[in-house]
Amino acid sequence: MLRIRKAGLQTTLQGQARIGQRFVGMPYAGPADPLSMALANRLVGNPADATCLEITYGGFEAEIEIACSMALAGAPSDLAVSGQAHSFHKTLHLQPGDTLTLAPPVQGVRAYLAIHSAFEAAVQFGSTSTYLTAEIGGLEGRALRADDTIRARGSTTFGDTLETPEALRPVFTHQFALRATRSSETDLLTADSERALFSEMFTIGRQATRMGLALTGHTLTVESDGMMKSAPVFPGTIQCPPSGLPIVLSCDAQTTGGYPRIASIARCVRHLLGLMRPGDQVRLLHRAPEAALEDDQRKQNFFSDWLEDGF
Amino acid sequence: MSDKLSPNRVADDVFEIRVDSSRQAQWIARTLRKAELAEDVVAGLETVCVKFAPASAQQVSDWLQGIDFAVDETLPDTPIITLDIHYGGEKGPDFEWVCEALNLSAEAFIEMHTGQTHTVEMMGFTPGFAYVSGLPEDVKIPRLSDPRLRVAAGSVGVSGAFTGIYALAGPGGWPLIGRLSKPLTGPISGAPIFFQSGQRLKFKAA
Repeated sequence: MLRIRKAGLQTTLQGQARIGQRFVGMPYAGPADPLSMALANRLVGNPADATCLEITYGGFEAEIEIACSMALAGAPSDLAVSGQAHSFHKTLHLQPGDTLTLAPPVQGVRAYLAIHSAFEAAVQFGSTSTYLTAEIGGLEGRALRADDTIRARGSTTFGDTLETPEALRPVFTHQFALRATRSSETDLLTADSERALFSEMFTIGRQATRMGLALTGHTLTVESDGMMKSAPVFPGTIQCPPSGLPIVLSCDAQTTGGYPRIASIARCVRHLLGLMRPGDQVRLLHRAPEAALEDDQRKQNFFSDWLEDGF
Repeated sequence: MSDKLSPNRVADDVFEIRVDSSRQAQWIARTLRKAELAEDVVAGLETVCVKFAPASAQQVSDWLQGIDFAVDETLPDTPIITLDIHYGGEKGPDFEWVCEALNLSAEAFIEMHTGQTHTVEMMGFTPGFAYVSGLPEDVKIPRLSDPRLRVAAGSVGVSGAFTGIYALAGPGGWPLIGRLSKPLTGPISGAPIFFQSGQRLKFKAA
């Protein structure tokens, strides 16, 4: 019912994160930017984590084969339906024969395409989310390609036409300030390096994937003999290998690792890891853990009227 | 061990507990998972991390501090699995320097590695990656200072005194000494998870 003509750099089906299975080495997966996915789903009457297409850097084109209601949120780019310009953050009602095209975004990385009732995808390890490394979830555990056909789980038309309230639309930028706490091995940094970590501007390196983002621009000095016993890591953990170049782990983060864990991105801003691209600038703002959780509560409250069940 | 735990906050939504061994970590993590109070409980080799939903921060903290653990370190009695490894060459690009660092000939390393029974201490990193103990404790091989972006499926690495088996291709920071001659096919069908902690292994030179 939706035939892919151009899949772009990496388009995958993403739904719920695989919470609770890290102890067997299974990462969370799910959307890199869960807030944008929740906002797209909201516009077609779906739960926040209903299965969507996560489209990386646009360049996407699909043919619609059945009347359906869809919506887009995330990295803003030119959107057209059969040649007519349309907007993100508004319910779209499409007809058979329509073509949906999405240009590459200027800022941000990923857009989320939601369909009323959610896309159908293989449920593996309790979720539809595609985890490419292990080839599970989604469509055959892989990124979509031209000529793939994907279906919806149920009735595809939604009676309402909704718009995301202006104030709730995430701002896309090339500069980020991320709240972060100290972590288990922060003490292994020299005093100068700890100061640099929480004050200097870093640049996102070329390695910027769903697994993690390299921070460049400042080489940190970490006292490490490379023989730390492997310890749990999570999306948001910042590891520092002996090279001194930190890596921020994102949604596909491995479950354990043996490089010092020098900081952790606060829960309330972890969705921003899905927005950052190579060359973007990022500064870490130090927060005490309790203060960071209060920030998360404020964020949940801010969105609660619109995203009633959280995200 | 019977002891009170002292949790350390390592993220706004994660507590960490330090323990003495990976068997303790596994046992404590299993016990905590059964209580179903946390979002996620993950064991490391000397730590257990408990990730919680913000609303239950205080409850989880109180609960962790109040629990008295009596650890049962008995291993499950499962049959030994033998895995064939191609040591060195292209499949084990770090084999030579690892042997040199240990002052061993290639033959002596292989004899040491294949001469004893190893134990899967934990599964982690990516699906199917096994942390395997069994090398003498004085073996101390450091991780690569810069991780590789791609390691082939079936690669075998060493780090500290552990052997690591990469079930899937992906990034990796362990020096590689070889590769399994056959891909892993697991007891859990359709899933890239092949061992449970406590599984005993023997290695054989292919």
